[in-house]
Amino acid sequence: MPGVILAVDDSASMRQMVRFTLEGAGYKVMQAADGVEALSLAKETAADLVLTDVNMPRMDGIALVRELRALDHYKFVPMLVLTTESGTDTKQRGKEAGATGWIVKPFNPEQLLATIARVL
Amino acid sequence: MAMSHDNSASATATVVNAFTPELQMANMLGLCEAQMESALQESDQAVDALIKAFTNLVEATRSVSSFAKDLPPEIRDTLSSDLDQKVAAISKQVGSAVMAFQFYDKLTQRLGHVRYSLSTLALFVCDRTKSTQPEQWKRLLNTLRRLYRTEEELQIFQAIMDGIGDEADEPPAPAAADEEAKAGEVELF
Repeated sequence: MPGVILAVDDSASMRQMVRFTLEGAGYKVMQAADGVEALSLAKETAADLVLTDVNMPRMDGIALVRELRALDHYKFVPMLVLTTESGTDTKQRGKEAGATGWIVKPFNPEQLLATIARVL
Repeated sequence: MAMSHDNSASATATVVNAFTPELQMANMLGLCEAQMESALQESDQAVDALIKAFTNLVEATRSVSSFAKDLPPEIRDTLSSDLDQKVAAISKQVGSAVMAFQFYDKLTQRLGHVRYSLSTLALFVCDRTKSTQPEQWKRLLNTLRRLYRTEEELQIFQAIMDGIGDEADEPPAPAAADEEAKAGEVELF
């Protein structure tokens, strides 16, 4: 059953692509342009899944995952990183921060939805 | 305040008019960076408009599809097969367009890195205390190396760095197949 997804990316066009892919599958989407905005939104409203970019101003996606994992109600929420980076080091940092998975941009809409359904 | 401003403007004019190879190089690099910024701003506006139009189109298609599902069974049965095929074909096209739009985002990100590199280089060449020191060039390259984070950027950086001093060799083009293979790659931890 579709839930609420917090989509975080500093690129407005990326947020747009993610939003209508997820809404088309019945998910409700909350959007944030960086880690700081996402963290504040996540504290106010519970999300069933977080989908975040890595390189963003103010707070990057890996720091965001780490901050969210420190919150009681986000300890077990799936967190997927959606980024252009495919380097092992960055991926390892994401894993250590508590990310559930890593998706390399550009995403294929069907594949993204299948991955989300799998981890929810 | 006005006096201070005039002095500053005059000092800038002196610097700009002074001829040194470093300053000419910095001006050329600044020109390249400015051209790139201007072109990116123009294309951003065009792509934003395109994305808005595309989003509206997709939402209209979804409404039609949803409307068709709510039709009385006797009407829907006569349309069903053809309509389902058309909706499936449109969905496939939408998926391809969503991927294509993301390549523009990636292009913007990579050009942003190039712009930053050009600005950094312009400042560096004007500082003779740095630009005459091989160790400082190494530090500059390391700084730029950290900037390039996508697989394709790193491949090009490495190819160029490996080829330094070897003028006969052209840097190899990034492997398009590798690039496509990485796109959409999913790893669950």
